[in-house]
Amino acid sequence: MRLGFNFTLGDTYDLVQRLIAEGHIDYCEYLIDNFFCVDPDEIAKAFDCPIGLHVMYSRFLEADRPTLVDFAARLRDYIDATNAIYVSDHILRFTHEGRAFFHLGEIDYSTEYEFVRDKVLEWQEIVGQRIHFENYPSIMDGGLEAPTFFERLTKETGAGVLFDASNAVCAYRNCGTPLEAWRNVIAKAQHFHVAGYRNSMIEPFISLDTHADSLSPETVAFLENFRSVFDKPGATMTYERDQEIEYDDIVADLKLLRGLFGEPQERRHDLVVSA
Amino acid sequence: MILLSLPSRTDRDLYPALMSPEMCAKYPADHKAFVRIDTSLRVYWHTLFDICPELLELSGPDGMSIFRPFMAWAGEKKLAFDWFYYLWVYAWLRQSPFKEQVFADKKYLRSVMGASVARWAILDRGRNCGIVIGCADTTDIVIGWKCRNVRFGREVELIEPEEPLPPPPELFGYFTLPSFELDIFPGWQGVTR
Repeated sequence: MRLGFNFTLGDTYDLVQRLIAEGHIDYCEYLIDNFFCVDPDEIAKAFDCPIGLHVMYSRFLEADRPTLVDFAARLRDYIDATNAIYVSDHILRFTHEGRAFFHLGEIDYSTEYEFVRDKVLEWQEIVGQRIHFENYPSIMDGGLEAPTFFERLTKETGAGVLFDASNAVCAYRNCGTPLEAWRNVIAKAQHFHVAGYRNSMIEPFISLDTHADSLSPETVAFLENFRSVFDKPGATMTYERDQEIEYDDIVADLKLLRGLFGEPQERRHDLVVSA
Repeated sequence: MILLSLPSRTDRDLYPALMSPEMCAKYPADHKAFVRIDTSLRVYWHTLFDICPELLELSGPDGMSIFRPFMAWAGEKKLAFDWFYYLWVYAWLRQSPFKEQVFADKKYLRSVMGASVARWAILDRGRNCGIVIGCADTTDIVIGWKCRNVRFGREVELIEPEEPLPPPPELFGYFTLPSFELDIFPGWQGVTR
């Protein structure tokens, strides 16, 4: 299992360089659409390690085709320049009746499957790339249907799942989606996310994917119990931290993950070649 | 009035309430749906007051004398809540009980204009590199730039031009910049709902 760190904005540039230099991470994951005005070659050369590309605001379920074609053309430049080891995106609702959510919305897995499947097929065709879609940290009980949805989606579209382990733990805590229900998804997934979460401000508490805390004991136990399902040749796990960024805390979690999964068998060069 | 029968199985059932304090109050406070909606509303709150803390001087520390009536007003007008969010807050303030304080001190206007261009730089995925906002209440303009290299974030600039641009025909106007230079004035575009 190769470990990575999410790079979302320039203020963590020095931190990521240090994580690479000290051997705590093996690759870097750009939140790439934050950097669409930066030259692709600069993106490719900024860090001496392989690159993953995570997309936040394609809004591919809601945007019209010309907008997506333009977005994809720019994304393609970064995919080619970095020889990206994967490209990932989100299945999310950004608006309702034209009004923007600031805390993004989960889809209805039972009624929107065909719509999402067709959009996923279209989006992959436009980008010209297999895309790995992240699971949502479900709150409401509709999240119980997420594992089946993602299994079916990957079978029928060829897409991958960017499986976020701590999002699955949030969903378990919030709506009872069994971790075991994700086993087949995890087994087929190559790329993973993990992060801390936090309770809501008021009761009854729900767990929110905040990227602001250390890994929870539940998340660590999940990774331990499913270690052999997660770990496989070519697998990557990105540790996400966007807030309350403390170097020592991050390194402690990365060491924990390294201890759990061991040193990666592939060297950095192999990771690039496998892409 | 609390309605126990409101659908709340999926997140989608709650979409209309996620931006409405009024609708949130219709859900039982001990229910997960209420917490979900409250969590969403807190993001709107923090997006406003964490970025424009000056506004809390007007409203008091909980911000609710601005937040609740503004969100209700925005709901009636079906405002999109894109990067214009802060500009609409200012438009509401100008016709609110706070209007005299807002007119008396430019810091509120500068704050919302800065927040608005920063939000554009965060959320816009078009090809433009920058945006300029002007307001009929000032000759100052505010510019927001997207991230131009991997070491730095977005940037916001306040400019007090020696030769002011013509005022926008409505309260606010904007134009976008295709490069990282302020070398054009193509005219103002209006703020849309």
